[in-house]
Amino acid sequence: MKRTVAIVEDEPAIRDNYAAAFTREGYVVRTYSNRAQAMTAFHARLPDLAVIDISLEDEPEGGFELCRQLRTLSAELPIIFLTARDTELDAVSGLRLGADDFLTKDLSLAHLIARVNALFRRVDALRRPLEASQVIRRGPLTLDAERMQVEWDGQVVLLSLTEFWIVFALARHPGHVKNRQQLMDAANVVLDDNTITSHVKRIRRKFQSIDPRFDAVQTVYGMGYRWVD
Amino acid sequence: MSLRLKLLLLALATLVLPWAGCRYAQEMESALREGEQNSLSSVAETIASSLQGRRDLLYREPPAADTETADTDDAAPAPLSPPPSPYDIKPILLFAPPLLDGYTDDWPHDKSAWRYFAQGHHRFGVLTGVCERMLYVLLEVQDDHVVFDSPGASPLDPDTFGDRVWLGFDDAEGNQHQIFLSATGPGSITGRRIETGEFGQKSAVTEPRIVGAWISTPQGYRVELRVPLSMVGEHFGVLIDDRSARGALPVSYGTLRSDDLHTVGRLIVASPELTSYLRQFIQPGLRLSIASPESRLLAQADALAQVTELGPGRGLLARLYRRFVDRPATPRIIDATAAIYDRQHREVLGSLKVSQTEDRWLTLRDRALTRMLNSTLLISAIAVVAILIFAARLAVRLSRLRTASESALTRAGLVTTFPETGTADELGDVARGFSTLLSRLNEYTGYLRTLAGKLAHEIRTPLTIVRSSLENLESEGVSPSAGIYLERAREGSERLNAILIAMGAATRVEEAISGAERVSFALAPLIASAGASYRIAFPDRHFATELPDEPVTIQGAPDLIVQMLDKLVDNAVDFSPVGATITLRLTLEPQAAVVEVDNPGPPLSGTTRSRLFESLWQSRTGADSRPHFGLGLYIVRLIAEFHGGTASAMSLPGDSGARFRIRLAR
Repeated sequence: MKRTVAIVEDEPAIRDNYAAAFTREGYVVRTYSNRAQAMTAFHARLPDLAVIDISLEDEPEGGFELCRQLRTLSAELPIIFLTARDTELDAVSGLRLGADDFLTKDLSLAHLIARVNALFRRVDALRRPLEASQVIRRGPLTLDAERMQVEWDGQVVLLSLTEFWIVFALARHPGHVKNRQQLMDAANVVLDDNTITSHVKRIRRKFQSIDPRFDAVQTVYGMGYRWVD
Repeated sequence: MSLRLKLLLLALATLVLPWAGCRYAQEMESALREGEQNSLSSVAETIASSLQGRRDLLYREPPAADTETADTDDAAPAPLSPPPSPYDIKPILLFAPPLLDGYTDDWPHDKSAWRYFAQGHHRFGVLTGVCERMLYVLLEVQDDHVVFDSPGASPLDPDTFGDRVWLGFDDAEGNQHQIFLSATGPGSITGRRIETGEFGQKSAVTEPRIVGAWISTPQGYRVELRVPLSMVGEHFGVLIDDRSARGALPVSYGTLRSDDLHTVGRLIVASPELTSYLRQFIQPGLRLSIASPESRLLAQADALAQVTELGPGRGLLARLYRRFVDRPATPRIIDATAAIYDRQHREVLGSLKVSQTEDRWLTLRDRALTRMLNSTLLISAIAVVAILIFAARLAVRLSRLRTASESALTRAGLVTTFPETGTADELGDVARGFSTLLSRLNEYTGYLRTLAGKLAHEIRTPLTIVRSSLENLESEGVSPSAGIYLERAREGSERLNAILIAMGAATRVEEAISGAERVSFALAPLIASAGASYRIAFPDRHFATELPDEPVTIQGAPDLIVQMLDKLVDNAVDFSPVGATITLRLTLEPQAAVVEVDNPGPPLSGTTRSRLFESLWQSRTGADSRPHFGLGLYIVRLIAEFHGGTASAMSLPGDSGARFRIRLAR
């Protein structure tokens, strides 16, 4: 059964390009150019995944509002935010609403599709029983690569896909310094240094909200980051 | 020349006021003098005409004759004065009675007033004077052999006679009188006259009203006499009896007939009333004098020395003024003369001279001048002071304006409040103009600063369209030859993307700074670790780190510090040759930690140094594969300022390279 991807984007050329790419990958694509249109359609039938632009026509932050409304319809539906603005504020606001990932539009289509695939994989994995082979354990950390889920001291840490991949890249080889480029490659993103820094900061904060003594992600100034057990 | 000095010179121009005042005072003085001269002339004319025909008032004359002529006929021609005779005695006017001591030093030294008479080698001079109804006679007799009367001699015995002096005059009734004066030695003498009694006997009677002194002189002797004018009528004469020996026959000569000693010359003397007549016209500072036609002073009323209550030259200032104003050649006394005619206007009886001292109106002038000069000097002083204050204020305001405009240009953050904009004058206009200009410049720079970020954001959407279209095209499958172009288009869009990221860098750093959390961290290990990473990142440069031994802890964001170092090292690498050693140094100051990055290479010029840390400014000239927007060092400055510090740049000693110094508050 083909999965349905909803694209909410007000720029027709980008929307159509994305639609073409997803169609090629075998997804059923439905496109909407504004929030009202999308919500009407979502009330009739929910998609399997939604890619939402933050600014929609005359609503500069219409994507956030749409995300919130969509979450009331479904708690599990994967949502990816797309934006031309890569500022930290946007990122924080988006994630607080329960989006699964937050990407800038300069991300390549291949990377975008890889993310969508990964998110579907996670949805599938969550429905299956846990497979021990895919699980990495480092002290209090439990990292399930298949389900893209992280637990610390047995508690689930809600990480976005990008954050998960950064943690995964660091935790797989503890003690090894991963520079920013390596982390970007692992996360399938092209970001500038500041965005990587803010991602790492957010990761620390999310872990610290569970364990205030969390200090496993260390900064090696001028070089990058490493995981310390 | 400063504005202050110029205005001061301008203020000194007001000193022309006192100068003009002096000139005006001089003009006024001439006018006054002329007016005074005119009024003096008219006074003289008036007094002279009041004396017209009053021969009786001018000269002592027999009252009988005068009344006769006056009574007979006014229109009839009055008798002319008798023709002048060489024997006429014309006394001069004495202002003080001479002491009767035989000495001449209390007589005026006026040679022209002397009359001389001679007989053979005998000679005497006579000088007569009048003072207060007294006639004074001074006789200078040349006599190589002075003979005194023998002591105890009878005045009637001719054998005992020595040299003697005869005075002859008539009285008001016309009776002739003769008085003789002789001495037995130098000393005071008294006149005597010879009276003939009823029976023909003669006696010498002393005339106590006629007194004098007899002294010897190298040339002969001198006799000084006083005769009351009341005794003397119209005629008067002097005769000398010069004897070669006691009792010898004398040589007699003088102005008396030598046979009967009757008078031949007249005594022409002013009437005693003349002075009192003149006195009625007198005023302080005025002198009235009447002279005979031959310029002999007849009478004088003098109040010249009495001046009005304000004497000349009180106070230093007044004296100083007068020095400026007075012309030294100016006489201190002005005169006016008028002739006194007889009734028929045919003959000049005498002349009236009115003199006035300048002091009277000089005082007036001085008072006016002093007041005027005082006020103009005061005005000048006030003007100078006012202009000086004004100039000082102006200079202060201008310098404040200049300082503000200079700091507005050099400081990266433009001044928002400009001084002097509240004032209503032209300087306020200039300040407002500057202020407007600066605020526009501020807006413009602000716009430029955000332009890169805005542009990056706006270009991102079309770029996404291009890139996603290219990717779709690639997936559709194209011919190998078209694939080359596709690849090139993709590379182009990648580069465009890199440019966008660089353009947005400053905006992102500003946002990062606004969201940064301050933590306490050790600076030295951070720099050491950063240095290690640069050795890997830039293998063709050497990196040296100089760190202090003691731990350095600062408050701030380590990520930002690393980012700042990245920019500085980036810069140092770009401007240094391959193989150069870049030095990272950390030193300590009491209040700050100082991070320095040195690189060999071109030194920094002055303009470069002052503008280096501004937004959108760069000194790179060569082409570079990476995009530069002049934001790197601006980001350095932002981060330094976030840490309460400053960023500065200088050339290394000997212009061997550049040094960037970041001072971070501890």
